[in-house]
Amino acid sequence: MTATLFDGIVQGLQLSLLAVGITLIYGLGGVLNLAHGQLAVLGGVAAKLLLDWGAHPVLAGIGGIIAAGLFGLLVDRSLLLAAYRYRGEERLLLGLILTLGLSFVIDGYLNYSFSEFSLTLSLPIPSVQIAGIPMRTAGLTTSVIAVVVFLALFALLRWTLLGKTIRSIIESEVGAELCGIDPARTRTIIVGLAAMMAGLAGIAQGLFSSLGTEMGPEFTILGLLVAVVGGVRSINGTLVAGVLLGIVNAFASRYIGAYVAFIILLSVAMATILLRPSGLLARFT
Amino acid sequence: MRRSSKRIWGRGRDVIVQVEGVHVSYGPALVLREVNLEASAGEAVAVIGPNGAGKTTLLKTMIGMIRPTRGRISYDGQVCNGLRAFETARLGMIYVPAEKELFPGMTVLENLELGAYRKGRDTSERLSYVFDLFPRLEERRKQLAGTLSGGEQQMVAIGRALMGCPKVLLLDEPSTGLAPKMVAVLYQQLAKLKTAGLTLIVTEQQVPLALRLTDRAYVLEQGAIRLSGKSADILGNPEIKAAYLGVT
Amino acid sequence: MSNRPAFSRYADVVLLAILLAVVPAIAADSSYYLRIATLAVVYMGWTIAFNLIFGHTKQLFLCLGALAGSASYVTTVLIQQLQLSPWITVPIGVTAAAGLGALFSYVSVLRGLGVIFLGIVTLAFSLIFQNLVLGLRQFTNGETGLVTRGLGFALLDRPVAAYYLFVVMLALALLVYCVVMGSRMGFAFRALSDDELTAELSGIDVAACKIIAAALGSAIIGLFGTLYGFYDGIISPSLFSFVSVDIPVLISLLLGGMRTRLGPIIGAAVFAVIEEFVRPFGQLNVLVYGVLLIVLFVAFREGLVVMLKKALGFSIP
Repeated sequence: MTATLFDGIVQGLQLSLLAVGITLIYGLGGVLNLAHGQLAVLGGVAAKLLLDWGAHPVLAGIGGIIAAGLFGLLVDRSLLLAAYRYRGEERLLLGLILTLGLSFVIDGYLNYSFSEFSLTLSLPIPSVQIAGIPMRTAGLTTSVIAVVVFLALFALLRWTLLGKTIRSIIESEVGAELCGIDPARTRTIIVGLAAMMAGLAGIAQGLFSSLGTEMGPEFTILGLLVAVVGGVRSINGTLVAGVLLGIVNAFASRYIGAYVAFIILLSVAMATILLRPSGLLARFT
Repeated sequence: MRRSSKRIWGRGRDVIVQVEGVHVSYGPALVLREVNLEASAGEAVAVIGPNGAGKTTLLKTMIGMIRPTRGRISYDGQVCNGLRAFETARLGMIYVPAEKELFPGMTVLENLELGAYRKGRDTSERLSYVFDLFPRLEERRKQLAGTLSGGEQQMVAIGRALMGCPKVLLLDEPSTGLAPKMVAVLYQQLAKLKTAGLTLIVTEQQVPLALRLTDRAYVLEQGAIRLSGKSADILGNPEIKAAYLGVT
Repeated sequence: MSNRPAFSRYADVVLLAILLAVVPAIAADSSYYLRIATLAVVYMGWTIAFNLIFGHTKQLFLCLGALAGSASYVTTVLIQQLQLSPWITVPIGVTAAAGLGALFSYVSVLRGLGVIFLGIVTLAFSLIFQNLVLGLRQFTNGETGLVTRGLGFALLDRPVAAYYLFVVMLALALLVYCVVMGSRMGFAFRALSDDELTAELSGIDVAACKIIAAALGSAIIGLFGTLYGFYDGIISPSLFSFVSVDIPVLISLLLGGMRTRLGPIIGAAVFAVIEEFVRPFGQLNVLVYGVLLIVLFVAFREGLVVMLKKALGFSIP
């Protein structure tokens, strides 16, 4: 049972990494990025390519993350410009459709060109014992990295000027502009960061299981669900929601069945939107 | 005079803001028609008119949130039609919207500090100027802006704008939603800003307040300037009195 | 309403009817092309429905496949388990779809959900549907699917007859569309799609319009869904997936032109042609979908109907 709990936390943290990226892009850009899962896959693909070219695994991982980030920047500065010309609901709708289209483009290309692709990394020590509980090092490593990333993110948002700028744009884009802040520049930085986190999540998947090119939509959906439950405007909320949903998913999959588990997650997300759109956990964060 | 207020007072040309022949349309509807307005450095100008006359549209057009379909807006000698709102803010023409647009989840202090974004490092002097002007803000500096009362929020909004070292301050209906006592206090402080040499452009529905604070005024009705002149004259104008002050 | 005689107002529909009627003759002995034409007609029906739901009342339903599939599975399972006649179960299936659509619309109006949140809710439903079908193996046979051959109307087992049946259904759907748009409700729709707030303030019951549009649209989707399920002889969750149904319909509507009468039909026809060209490339068809979505939404939002109107100078409403 603790193994399931551990699995749930590990998966949950990975989902939070994805969800936080979606939340940031939504909060800063007013765009719901439906291609976010594909960014994760791209990170993994880039890492695998680097590995095949003989790079050291750690460098390949970092390279993959940077590649995902760069791709995110590229998308923000090209495709999404069409959406940024508008405001509010129009921008939301346009961004949704554009990123949806982008997700198909990426999926179609990757599935076609890399049909046999699979990224599987392994660590030298498969499992360790902590406090008498055997844990897979892969899961441990990714969890630790995820936690470090989140701590860094919190620190950034709380104490740095860039962080305050980001928070101000999320709270009121107009207000931020009136302070002389250029929302577009900050947004580009954040999209890059969000894409990197997605890339990290993709590589993490290769670490404790295996990553395939067809996993993009699954990542997007899961990330979206967590973002919705945590509150699309609350970053703390997505962390908590991710871990919770990860645990729920792990237990439900193990004891009831994968299909039902997914239905539970989906229903929780639906219930959140219908009952408390600001996020189930937004009040506590 | 304090050093900070000297910085606020623009040392630019005499006429610091000029709106010439501006037209603004929302689709087929013409919202502003042939609007001409100007303010000199250190002047306080009022724009009064009924709801829907276009006062907010005028201010938003001046800073670049709305694009005029015709006409020219100049600030401190340069044409600024194509500039975005954050660019005009950086140049020193700062807008305080009626909705205030504060950052509710951040503290009063953080809101004010963000106002100084374009000026970077040393904010302590300007901060103390703002706290002098609005002592209540100093008391509440660690409080979340979203939890403040209407009047306090208005103070934060204006304080935040001041942190950006504006040469021109555009205030959109600052009295909205405030209790009368609060409004009186606010306008006292606005008068202080005027004395310190800051150029003010104020729109109001509460006509007497605006006219008593300012030197000159424009009356905007249905998108066009109907009347303009010295505030005192307009205050005494019988038509205006009937229309806006309910005096017959 | 224009003063032109009825014939010229509906000349385009008559032309279309003639075109559609001669397709089997053109397709001659090729059962392959007849099948493609038949499928295209099904998608035309779905796109007309989506035009009502999204084009006119701005409700982003991302669960079209799930609605069609729900109707189809309900119908089929009822026939299988309870030995009922399709004449009974098809209306039940259609009602189920209409009810679901109306429910989503009602809830979204009630809670004031924006376009995005409604989209997410319906997307979630789409996935719930997939997983329900996969999970309830005892009834639905999971991924392998249910055989419907022989369960439905006998007419659907004969290719040419089936084609004409679908064309008749399409005509019905188009008729419903024209009647609705010509009525006071249609006027309300036009006001609504322009500016919802103004429409509300003018006394139009925006909520009722949306719910009715959703119910009607979903009913049409359900109807085509059930018949489609019988046509192919087998239904499976992948037949009604998001990528199989929702995306082509969205692209078709954009392509043809939202809020136009024949836009959905022309769009679906063009899309069917595009699909044929892309078929040999296998997985790349998804890439083409993506490119189409992007290009259409950025550059080409008015659709073919409006473009043709401008280019050729005549009106296809």
